[in-house]
Amino acid sequence: MSASNIWISDLTHYYNKKQKSPTLDNINLSIPKGQLTALIGRSGCGKSTLLQMMAGLLFPSDGAVRINGQTIVKPSAKWNMMFQKPSLYPWMTVRENAALGLVFAGTYKEKADRVEELLDMVGLKEHKDKNVQQLSGGQQQRVALARSLATEPEILLLDEPFSALDAFTRTALQTEVAQICHDQNITMVLVTHDIEEAVAMADKVIIMSHNPGKIVGEKDIPLHYPRDRSSKDFATLKEELFAEFEKIDLEKQRELEAMAS
Amino acid sequence: MTTAATITPKAGWFANAMSGYGKMPLWMQSATNATLGMTILLVLWWIGGLLIASNPDTEAFANFAPGPTLVSLWHLIESGTLWETIYSSLYRIIIGLFWGIVIGVPVGVLVGYFLNFRQVANMPFQFLRMISPLAWMPIAVLAFETWDQAIIFLLAMATVWPIIFGTAHGVQRIDPNWFRVAKNLGADGYQMLRRVIMPAIAQDVFAGIRLAIGVAWVVLVPAEYLGVTSGLGYAINDARDTLDYDKLAAIVVVIGVIGYLLDFIAMKLIKRYSWHVE
Repeated sequence: MSASNIWISDLTHYYNKKQKSPTLDNINLSIPKGQLTALIGRSGCGKSTLLQMMAGLLFPSDGAVRINGQTIVKPSAKWNMMFQKPSLYPWMTVRENAALGLVFAGTYKEKADRVEELLDMVGLKEHKDKNVQQLSGGQQQRVALARSLATEPEILLLDEPFSALDAFTRTALQTEVAQICHDQNITMVLVTHDIEEAVAMADKVIIMSHNPGKIVGEKDIPLHYPRDRSSKDFATLKEELFAEFEKIDLEKQRELEAMAS
Repeated sequence: MTTAATITPKAGWFANAMSGYGKMPLWMQSATNATLGMTILLVLWWIGGLLIASNPDTEAFANFAPGPTLVSLWHLIESGTLWETIYSSLYRIIIGLFWGIVIGVPVGVLVGYFLNFRQVANMPFQFLRMISPLAWMPIAVLAFETWDQAIIFLLAMATVWPIIFGTAHGVQRIDPNWFRVAKNLGADGYQMLRRVIMPAIAQDVFAGIRLAIGVAWVVLVPAEYLGVTSGLGYAINDARDTLDYDKLAAIVVVIGVIGYLLDFIAMKLIKRYSWHVE
């Protein structure tokens, strides 16, 4: 059993005081070190909000997020975030974009080789001097991945980073990122509403329901990497997760009916 | 042009010429067109000169024609007086533009970034922008000790608005995710300014500066009619008083050429800092 390095305790969050039910309701969670944990749920369940709190981009109304025992007070390049959009800087080349975190830290001169290696690893060897606007969506997200990894983060937070890509690129990147997580021993948290993606990438899936946003279940995915998407085990796990979601929806519906009557 | 290119050489000189034009590379076509435009302008000027000379009422102004003008221009260049004149005007433009930028860029950032500031500033700025910079002359003369300072003030008043609006436009186009990503990668305030904000808005700032140069160059000449004894505007007024119409026309040519060059430089800067890939 590996140790955790993100702890979330008694976390509750309201975006504004007039809200009837909280965006996040009494969340308790620990994320295991060096593994990939997926947070899945319908839109509005607060999974992205929770992820932004782990990044230090948002702060909870109540409760705390701690990384290695310390409460997060600001963003840090030690725990990086990848967004749905690559959000590259269009006036820079591929290399300049990937190096930006190191430039901010003032360590680019010493670690220039790392940027080259990462760009080779994500398959952009031939494109390093191109302007990022000349790249495809998948290639742009690869630049963003290299940029996130360049600062040698302990934790990588993934906010649906593959959802805007075509199916082939998405599948390839899912496999690569899960591989990187285990090869480089980086703790990853993936937010997604794609059950297949969760089964393909995660060691553990946390299931959230919405209104109020809370954790309603979790499931280990004990498959080896690289994962065979056509295997029977893969299909079974996917079905089980689907079934969980249907159960949640059914309960929600009953609740609503009970309230109405 | 493809159809012209297929016509046989026997079809006559015009078709020949068109066929040759069609085969030219694009840059040569555009150079040919530019030359054509300048030739038309020169011909019109020349015809105008002939008309003025042929009419007994306007005969006295015959020196406006291209011939005398170009001779006079040569004398101005040879004697060196032209350089002092140009220097005085460029000095005022540059200092005026300097103040326009120093005031306009930070104000533009505020207007672009803060909705409240934009709402507060919008009406007064649109109102002030519409006032001819020359209308500030009486106030400028009262407020400043020298004519030079007064003219620089007018130029700053002319340049500040396009720079404010250009900068604000640039800031509004910044993708909020650029801030989020930079923050996440550990950028501090200075790095955010240097690596994200400045490169993001540079092209819009220079677009504002280009417009500002255009306005300032137009305002400069009438501003120099007043008080000062140097600069291109003064030279025009002086030539009129001494009935040196060829010299007057030569100065007009110089104003056109320098204006074109300033605009060209500004355009190059916009291109240099533009990050849109077509």
